[in-house]
Amino acid sequence: MKNFSRRALEFSITFFLAISINFFLPRLVPGDPIKLIAGDAAPQLGKERIAALRAQYGLDKPLSEQFMIYLKQLAHGDLGMSYRYSGGKTVVEVLSENFRWTLLLVGASMLFGLLIGSALGIWSATRRGDPIDFGLLSGVYILRAIPPFWLAMLLIPIFAIQFHYLPAGDSYSIPRLEGWENVKDVARHALMPILVLTLAYLPTAFVIMRAAMFGIMESNYIRTARAKGVPNRWVVLKHGLRNALLPVLTSFMVDFGQLLGGVTVIEAVFNYRGIGNMMFEAVKSRDYPLLQGGFLLFTLTILALNIITELMYPLLDPRLRRTA
Amino acid sequence: MSVHTLADLNSRISPPRRLARFSRWTGTFVLILMLVFAFFPTVIAPYDSTKTVALPLQKPGRENILGTNDLGQDLFSELIAGTRASLLTGVIVSLIAVFIGVIVGLASGYLGGWVDALLMRITDLVLVLPFLPLVILISVYLGPSQRNIIIVLSVFFWVGPARLIRARVLSTRSDTYIEAARALGANPLQIMAGHLWSSVRPLAFVQVVLVASASILAESSLSFLGLGDPSGKSWGTMLYFARASGAFLSDAWKWWVLPTGLMITLTVLSLGLIGYSLEQGM
Repeated sequence: MKNFSRRALEFSITFFLAISINFFLPRLVPGDPIKLIAGDAAPQLGKERIAALRAQYGLDKPLSEQFMIYLKQLAHGDLGMSYRYSGGKTVVEVLSENFRWTLLLVGASMLFGLLIGSALGIWSATRRGDPIDFGLLSGVYILRAIPPFWLAMLLIPIFAIQFHYLPAGDSYSIPRLEGWENVKDVARHALMPILVLTLAYLPTAFVIMRAAMFGIMESNYIRTARAKGVPNRWVVLKHGLRNALLPVLTSFMVDFGQLLGGVTVIEAVFNYRGIGNMMFEAVKSRDYPLLQGGFLLFTLTILALNIITELMYPLLDPRLRRTA
Repeated sequence: MSVHTLADLNSRISPPRRLARFSRWTGTFVLILMLVFAFFPTVIAPYDSTKTVALPLQKPGRENILGTNDLGQDLFSELIAGTRASLLTGVIVSLIAVFIGVIVGLASGYLGGWVDALLMRITDLVLVLPFLPLVILISVYLGPSQRNIIIVLSVFFWVGPARLIRARVLSTRSDTYIEAARALGANPLQIMAGHLWSSVRPLAFVQVVLVASASILAESSLSFLGLGDPSGKSWGTMLYFARASGAFLSDAWKWWVLPTGLMITLTVLSLGLIGYSLEQGM
């Protein structure tokens, strides 16, 4: 449990850091924050109007006090108002509408990427040095060099425009369909983004699994198992894979901060209704509160996944159960 | 002693070494080609990529072998001109990132104690932060430009090299020659800059190549999102404008989107192959 509390502390520090980035970044940039808020209209504003705006956003108070106010609002789940919707929507509302779509894409492609990548990694590791290993390794190297968004830009004209087989973008048809038809519709829309993201996540899982299995397959207990006459398949899956799972999951999670961000670009290409595309749109309209909210949500997701992984360790490794 | 034929000799080289050699030559060949494009774009490109030379959105023809973009600029010339920005970004980012990584890795690995604890916590933090969303956030505040992309990528990419170099330092710090240097009265700075640096140097060179490859890929994503210099020519920016003008909804994807992405892939792959072969040779 000592390890866990240490990790919990680290996670809270990271979260605090993300919050602080959100607060200080706009204030560190040269230029008046009012200009950022008012945009092109800034020069037309009179001195009094600017002073009023400053007071409204609390910018006339000292920085430390501003930070405390910001933290207090955050604790109440208040991320401010989004600029983009003139009807008035809070950032939290916009985020919760979009988050499920990102979760769908990331969840499915992470699952497929991990499963397929690991399976190929095991296959490659057990055939070390022969053409299958060589072929898989070259394939993964090439796949790693391909920009995922470019792959998406090639799939759309082929599958959506040429063959009219899949929709070119968005998360569902408008008007929305009912019941089972709706499920099929959502799946059809998600298919291409999930495919691209799976291909983007797959190499990481492959490389990690292949390296982990290499190490394990040469260890003494594997040799013992083989000497006992345990069938090859059983040696690989029971003795090898069981012990590779923990390092693979740990390394995959370390890289996940980098991987999760990739969804941003893919959502933008497919015009998918997730957080990433929302941030991309928010860039165009300079919707700062929404951008900060999106960043915070991404950080939280990564932290949550890390905590879940941490909690899964005892399930995967019995040695960790005793100390817990 | 019998005379060995070439095939005979080749068969004695184990597959990994043959693979490493193949990777090195293929990678080097492609990279040299790209360097020629970057240094002498005017020799290869038929037109000035910033000038309107034909009607916009032309199909490939005798005048423009890859057609023209939405502004009537020659796409082939643009493709050649984009090489410089992409390679330059990759090289600068990797040099900065590996430089920071080497210093952090050496200090963390050799000094240990609270320096190590602090530096490693910082790397953990950077790893957990969502890369692209944060980059989008920073670019929005700093404004879109190639310089800002370089800054932002460097901030993220020093972490990997730092960890690897720290690990290498940890395994060499108690070697006898380091101990001897310490016994002779060398101060930590001398040991780090002299002995330890020479032991991690090959690793640092591999990292320069691999980070360059990763940052060219990342740069293309950022430029594609419109966070790069909109007037500068880079492959990511070309794809950004291809998307903006709906090139992939028409046949234009074949001569606009396809070659541009291939250039990115080839460059990233060539650096990856060189990195791989260097790693194998270590």
